[in-house]
Amino acid sequence: MSRLHPLSAVLMALNRGFTGLFVGFVLATVLAAAFDPVSGFWTIVAAPMGFLLGAAYGVAYYYRFEYELTADTFDVASGVFSRRDREIPYHRVQNVDVRQGVLFKLFGLAIVNVETAGGGATEGVLNFVGEDEAARLQREIRRLTAESKRRRKDRRAAAKDDHEGGPAGQEGDLEWIDPDALEGGDRPEEAIGPPEAADPESADVDGERVYADLDDAGDELGPADVADEPSDPEDESTDEPVFADEYRTRRLFGLSSRELLLYSFASFRFAAAAVVFFFAFVAGDTALEVVLATARPFGGPETIAAGTPRGYAMLTLISLFYGAVLTYVVGAGFTFVSYYGFQLGRAGDDLVYERGLLQNYSGSIPVEKVQSVTITDNPLQRLIGYAGLWVETAGYGPDSTGGSQSAIPLARERRAYRFAERFTDLERPTMERPTTVARRRYLARYSIVAGLLVAAAYGLSRTTPLVGWYYALLAFLAVPPAAHLKWLNLGYYVGENHVVLRSGFWRRQTTVVPYYRVQTVNTRRSIFQRRLGLASLVVDTASSQTFFRGTPTAYDVDLSAARSIHGDCRERLRTALAKRAADEDAGEIEFE
Amino acid sequence: MESLHPRIRLLWVAQAAIGAVIVGLIATGVDSQLRELPVAIPVGAALVVLLLGVAYAVLLYGRWRFELQEDSLYLERGVITFVETSVPFVRVQHVDTRFGPIERLLGLSSLVVYTAGSRNADVRVPGLTPERARTLQDTLRDLAVESEGDDAV
Repeated sequence: MSRLHPLSAVLMALNRGFTGLFVGFVLATVLAAAFDPVSGFWTIVAAPMGFLLGAAYGVAYYYRFEYELTADTFDVASGVFSRRDREIPYHRVQNVDVRQGVLFKLFGLAIVNVETAGGGATEGVLNFVGEDEAARLQREIRRLTAESKRRRKDRRAAAKDDHEGGPAGQEGDLEWIDPDALEGGDRPEEAIGPPEAADPESADVDGERVYADLDDAGDELGPADVADEPSDPEDESTDEPVFADEYRTRRLFGLSSRELLLYSFASFRFAAAAVVFFFAFVAGDTALEVVLATARPFGGPETIAAGTPRGYAMLTLISLFYGAVLTYVVGAGFTFVSYYGFQLGRAGDDLVYERGLLQNYSGSIPVEKVQSVTITDNPLQRLIGYAGLWVETAGYGPDSTGGSQSAIPLARERRAYRFAERFTDLERPTMERPTTVARRRYLARYSIVAGLLVAAAYGLSRTTPLVGWYYALLAFLAVPPAAHLKWLNLGYYVGENHVVLRSGFWRRQTTVVPYYRVQTVNTRRSIFQRRLGLASLVVDTASSQTFFRGTPTAYDVDLSAARSIHGDCRERLRTALAKRAADEDAGEIEFE
Repeated sequence: MESLHPRIRLLWVAQAAIGAVIVGLIATGVDSQLRELPVAIPVGAALVVLLLGVAYAVLLYGRWRFELQEDSLYLERGVITFVETSVPFVRVQHVDTRFGPIERLLGLSSLVVYTAGSRNADVRVPGLTPERARTLQDTLRDLAVESEGDDAV
């Protein structure tokens, strides 16, 4: 059994100590107020007592928290008074994530999160260990998972008498993802061995790590992408724990500085508005001054107290403008810092990633746990022909944006799609679009929205001195293009092994769901849809990204089309299962 | 295709009645605390909720169907949005039967089928007699075991 990093005892003791101090102080104060025999003097004794008790608890927690990697499970024993012994079988681990804040990086510490499917919170949290230990844990969990898998396979092969000399120990194909397809027919070596001298950049490394760059950097990417490849492997081994392991990590994707900048400036984070609000709150007076000064030339009020309705309207517009610009800039900065140095690689059966400038994030995702793959883009990214790619698992983690990890934050659209195609062994999808009846529906829907807007503006003009409500009628001009664009970005494709569903204009998502991962299929028809003979088809998987992005849906397709996709999904799930069963009998597939 | 037990309508009507009472109480509260209202408003609001509830119950009952098909549990239901759901037997994680206080009073029971899915992870079939719920539970369990797929998680 191992313990956490000793410093975590100090931190925990301080944390709990101050909690104790506070509790002691409050308790003594309340008691002193309520009972005469208790004097206010007691707080002087109770507060330090509380601190000592709390600190003692913190230290005890450290000594009572142990974890261990056994042959088949990852065990965590914790709890001072009530004990909890948790065993997580390796084959149930969804992803392992390592997080390092700024201070943690300074002291060489890291938090390790082990996710499994189900459960509301992260199942295995080590808060915190040394970064070497974190890297070792990630590596060992990967190795032990592979070993325990092999053993279970052996056991099953032994149990099957009719399969003499079964292919035990042979590496199975991974569910719906064909590793060979990923690596261009070049199967990864799992053992430590001298690298094939294929990559001139890394051929001189000590043999523990090879970057076989699999980007087809040559044919699709500009020189900037290539120039940004890591050129000094020595340097990396110090600050890239994930990639320094005994499995040869093959690099699948590295975010070039050009792509990083594009990603920062071509993505929008509305959450950044919270930061802007906070800033405006803290720097209230100064911010107000700036806004007033900017608004004055456009007819804004002299001071916040004196102004005409028109002046206030202008002031509102100007502050909205400032808010939008600041939100955008803060969001871009956040993206830059979070995705700085993004790399995706493959080690054994896992995808490994790392990113972050101030905070370091790294982690591994077993390829066979990938539920679905989603390609996202927004209008700006589409304009410059770029897109991002995400892999989704059933693991839930607040830090991993809900079981969905970026595999390619941003790359040329063709490259993202090609990656998805190779990764999932998907034939090139030819998207089908719902009929124009759907567009009519959006026309009606947005007209209602515009009508409500006009009504609200009219109401406002009646109750306030605001004039010119009829400008709101301009909203109707936006209705036809909005309806058309909404319709234009819908699509679906029913493939041999996957169904592909696309929707969204502002944040378009194209989700690739293998039939094998389908959990339930739903055909939904609202009263409006029934009138037009349309239906929406919802394909549910176990991927936890659906909580954040919605379940993959083919919106407003003809009822007959929806029925036929519904039937196809069911039918092909059955075929996929039968095929897997057959493959498993032949020992070719690893069974969960 | 199997329908629900007719008594399920009583359950839904009872739920609507509870909603109507709550609406009536809120309106009465407004009347006594905030401003005077004509008596017709609390009574009328409660009646409207009740009538809507009754209409909803009748319509919903008319549309609820389910069936054990070859490979899936198939359900159809919904008044405003009509939903057809297929739950493949292989994906069934576990099956519950359960009943609330009103259901118990009416001698009804529900079947809840859980999958590993996220949004629509649990599928509920209400309005079954306890015996029917139990046999369905057993059948589904057997079918799920028989189909012996992994849960793809």
